[in-house]
Amino acid sequence: MSNKTILIVDDDPDVRMGLNIRLKANHYNVIFAADGMASIAEARKHMPDLIILDLGLPAGDGFSVMERLKANDTLALIPVIVMSARDPSANREKALKADAKAFLQKPVDNAKLLAVIRKVLGEKDLTPHAVHDLGEL
Amino acid sequence: MKEKALQVLLVEDNAGDARLLREMFSTERAGSFELTHLLRMSEAVAHLAKGGVDIALLDLGLPDAQGLETVRRAHAVAPDVPVIVLTGLDDEALAAEAMKEGAQDYLIKGQIENRALPRALRHAIERQRMRVDTEQIRKQQLQLKDEFLSHVSHELRSPLTAIYQFVSILADGLAGELRPEQSEYLRITLRNVRQLESMIADLLEVTRIQAGKLNIEPQGASLRDAITDTVSMFEGSAAAKGITLSANIPADLPLAYVDPSRVRQVLINLVSNAVKFTAKSGEIKLQTRIFEEDPGLLVVEIADTGCGIKPEVSKRIFERLYQASDAGEAGRKGLGLGLYISKELVARQGGNIWVTSEPQKGSNFFFTVPIFSLASLISPILTNEVKPEEGIAVLVVEMDSQDGWLSPDGRIEISNVARTLLQRCLLPDLDVVLPKMDLGDAQELFFTVARTNKQGAEVMSKRVREQFRRCERLQKAGLTFTVSYSFLSPISRSVNEPMGGFAEHVAAGVQEHINTMMIARSVPT
Repeated sequence: MSNKTILIVDDDPDVRMGLNIRLKANHYNVIFAADGMASIAEARKHMPDLIILDLGLPAGDGFSVMERLKANDTLALIPVIVMSARDPSANREKALKADAKAFLQKPVDNAKLLAVIRKVLGEKDLTPHAVHDLGEL
Repeated sequence: MKEKALQVLLVEDNAGDARLLREMFSTERAGSFELTHLLRMSEAVAHLAKGGVDIALLDLGLPDAQGLETVRRAHAVAPDVPVIVLTGLDDEALAAEAMKEGAQDYLIKGQIENRALPRALRHAIERQRMRVDTEQIRKQQLQLKDEFLSHVSHELRSPLTAIYQFVSILADGLAGELRPEQSEYLRITLRNVRQLESMIADLLEVTRIQAGKLNIEPQGASLRDAITDTVSMFEGSAAAKGITLSANIPADLPLAYVDPSRVRQVLINLVSNAVKFTAKSGEIKLQTRIFEEDPGLLVVEIADTGCGIKPEVSKRIFERLYQASDAGEAGRKGLGLGLYISKELVARQGGNIWVTSEPQKGSNFFFTVPIFSLASLISPILTNEVKPEEGIAVLVVEMDSQDGWLSPDGRIEISNVARTLLQRCLLPDLDVVLPKMDLGDAQELFFTVARTNKQGAEVMSKRVREQFRRCERLQKAGLTFTVSYSFLSPISRSVNEPMGGFAEHVAAGVQEHINTMMIARSVPT
């Protein structure tokens, strides 16, 4: 049903591959970037519907990526979900202040991840428990 | 090399005792000790505060300080200066107490040998130096440990993410169909991944607790949701063991003043323990009610028919890293942090946690949280006489998200911003911003109670509107807001009525007002 494009920015190739399989199975187009610099180039080239962004990245961390996205009128419109292994108590608020739509801590439960993606993309969520999970983000 | 003279402070009001000690020092090699003799504790404190003292000899019966107080006052002003107390022959018990209080040694007056004195002083100084060093090393190590834990838990999460992703890909059949036993094995792997994840989360939480960085945001909230959510979360794992899991929540349960996510954390911890330690076909019951011993508190009880806890152990289970040695196989799967974290979380919300248990019969865990009391929140604005032309105004700020959704984190941040703005518009000693009520979806409501007249309420609403319109953060979040106010119906009050009763009256009115507004908003238009 979906066919929306999601840009995954993560320096861990295993995480990229795992997310790719999971998101493709849910009918999303997936594109990748492994560092901060490449993420901006990919975003510009493909104008994805959503960016899933890690924080610890080479060549410009997640926060600087969000800053650069915001500085561009078109790229600023792409919603960002931050997904990081970093301590949420220090980084969650910072990410949301930088206009991320959500902060998810790795490892993220699949149902929760998909529910958040659907919410942010404004899609109907068909799994009843997924919405409930949002309460514990 | 010439040794620097040791600066000795002698505090002794008895002239005879002082003279004896002074004579002892005079027989020592010139330049090895320099004695300052004072008569009162107040003088001694002033002298210690100046610094430069290497050791203090304190009499425990000074005119302005008695017994252990002498040692405490010396330590308070100069914690690193070693103290030797001087006592009488019949006072060794007191001297021993002084040692516990941090004194390095004691000397019994009239029994001090000439040659023993300098040695006692040097030993005391050396021991104190070691104690200070040890304390410093301990602090450094604690900090290193915290940094290390925080780092490690981050590093552990990355590979765990990949493991979780790929195991769940296999388990969900995204890489091809599975035989039933393959599915079963992957389910076991996933369960252990979750176990590992929750251990890492616990480690981080403990570091936060010890660094004093635990974030708790209390609000008026019902325990009902937290309890029913927890029950439904564990229904599956309880059913798998044939355990009956049920909750009994009275319909008229008052709101609690808690951080709902933190209460949930405690409940999850206690119920998961109960499931873990209850044998097949057992029973777990959750209950909540007003606490019999304190009507200002709610008590939540989690009763199981599990293996129970021995009395000598039941106090210690809330200690950090404590694990009962005979907890069995189930008990060994964990770090022994869950109950410690629960205790800290409950304590920081103003409650208490404890357990009663009978081995082999089961355990009853209890924790208390304060009841949300509008009366106690509102009474500050009612402490002065109410003028006849004034009333109780309730100002309501209603915020709606334009894209129809606010992430839970976004809510927290926005509500902080809004509350700060509201505080700015209020008279801090007359008006009260009520804590957030536990509300559902894309809307946030804020209630403010003020004692004012119609004109005052107008001015206030205008000021609030202005502040919210100018706030960049709220604009950026795409929020619309409306500000309105209304007056509570006048409450008649007799002159003799105590203030507390009046506060409750008003609180009841405000509560009703808030309820009406919330119900009006939940009705679909």
